[in-house]
Amino acid sequence: MMHGLLSRKLLILVFFMHLCLLWMFVSGPGPQAFAEQPEMEKAEFIKKAAVYSEDSNTDNLIRNVREALVTSPDRAEDHDQLGYLLIKKGLYDEALDSFRTALKINPNLRTAKTGIGVALLGKGDAAAAETALKSALILNPYPAMTYYALGLTYLKMDNNEQAAQYFKEGIRTFKDGKK
Amino acid sequence: MKISILPKKACPKWALWISVCIFLMIANTSGAAALLQAGAPAPAFSLNDMEGKEVSLSQYSQNKAVVLLFWATWSAKSPNALKRFEDFHRKYGQKGIVIIGINADNQTLSAEDATKIKGLLASHGITFPVLLDKGLKTFHEYEVIALPSTVVIMEGKIAYELAGFPLTGTENLFDYLLSLAGETPRGNKVTGGYKPKYDAIADTNLAKGFVKKGKYAMAYPLFMKAIAKDPSYMAPYIDLARLYALEGKTKEVEDTLRSALKMAPENIVVLAELGYLLTNTNRAGESVELLAGYAKDGAYTPALYYYAYALAAAGRLNDALAAFDNALQLNPFDPVTYRLRGEVYENNRMMKEASSEYRRSLELLLKMSK
Repeated sequence: MMHGLLSRKLLILVFFMHLCLLWMFVSGPGPQAFAEQPEMEKAEFIKKAAVYSEDSNTDNLIRNVREALVTSPDRAEDHDQLGYLLIKKGLYDEALDSFRTALKINPNLRTAKTGIGVALLGKGDAAAAETALKSALILNPYPAMTYYALGLTYLKMDNNEQAAQYFKEGIRTFKDGKK
Repeated sequence: MKISILPKKACPKWALWISVCIFLMIANTSGAAALLQAGAPAPAFSLNDMEGKEVSLSQYSQNKAVVLLFWATWSAKSPNALKRFEDFHRKYGQKGIVIIGINADNQTLSAEDATKIKGLLASHGITFPVLLDKGLKTFHEYEVIALPSTVVIMEGKIAYELAGFPLTGTENLFDYLLSLAGETPRGNKVTGGYKPKYDAIADTNLAKGFVKKGKYAMAYPLFMKAIAKDPSYMAPYIDLARLYALEGKTKEVEDTLRSALKMAPENIVVLAELGYLLTNTNRAGESVELLAGYAKDGAYTPALYYYAYALAAAGRLNDALAAFDNALQLNPFDPVTYRLRGEVYENNRMMKEASSEYRRSLELLLKMSK
């Protein structure tokens, strides 16, 4: 039951992470890697994220991102996006590979760091998820979602005390504008 | 056993200030004001009706007035509100007053939700347009804090707003609408239609801009100017109080709220803010007394949850939890209700419940849940 609830929330988390990416773009300044992309690519990403936010067919989106990666395999953001889509499908190991590839290309891509934690939590490895998410918090300008994932991680560990503290921290940082 | 939400050790003054600041910062960004104030521009919207047809506010710009009724199937008072507006629509719909229902059942609408909405509309014979606010974007943009809530728009600006469907307020609203329709109001006088002075609105908005940019010193005189220009306009008092709170000036917060109450003793937004301040300055009993009457009317969600918070601080946990339930009945989408209830549980060392409340609050902030 608990696992089912967590999985549902993970899917919502994945959905929101992409909304966050969209938000970072439209409200800028975005992450350095994105800021350096040509305008056309940014527009394409925004379009892609918008499609995602409409909860379109995940399989199609995975196919599209994979096709894009064939021609531009060095785009960390696409690997990252693919990772979240794979989490949505419950393919946690493949998602981890995608996030790790994204981080090899851009070690500062914080959404990918959080993604690793989310994927590990999806796999049921709460201890590893905790470590990954805590590392994703370092210098993270938008930590509310990471705190949320940490709260879920501690719930999985039956540690309500810690879960409460992380959810609270998420509320606090969200209100400070650090979504 | 007496249970308190406040820590047993004496609370240092700085900690108290910080907690008040944090609260007021949160309140400042969470739409704690009761709807948008009269005179403010009406946010544009474009929503689908029950048949999927897109309807925009702009297409009614030629009408004398547009009345938005925010409602939900789960809200106890919404069916009555729908019926009243249906009657009005049938009698006066031809007189340039457009009624639009905006459904705010959930962030995302399932097929089950749609069936419920259609069923309720059919059973009450609703013929005015009803739009579906998917994602609750319009609900949030209009800063709705209770369901049902009514907003009257004239010439693109908010002309009248009513949170909840309280007895007296509702009759005043319909008297106001009758007068717009060219009919003689049934009541003695029409209390709607107050419009703050333009200069006061402009100064307040400018000051709020400075607050956002962290230029507090420039904001203070503008808020004060706005109050001097229109002492009946409550927004600058509330924003000034929040600014004082940001800077830890608790006494000034209270003085400002009490000055506002001298001008508008029944203003529920100001009363609610004062109630919360009293609770956080170890005067929970006074806060309970202040808010009890208004909480019964149940039209303003923050008054309900601050009342609940005060009850808990006064050691009445069961009453507090019941009051939180009332607040949720009025608006289940307000993250502050869950956060405050989380604090109450946490202070009573009920950590499972506390984590659940904080989680829900954060999910609402992140717009992750229904």
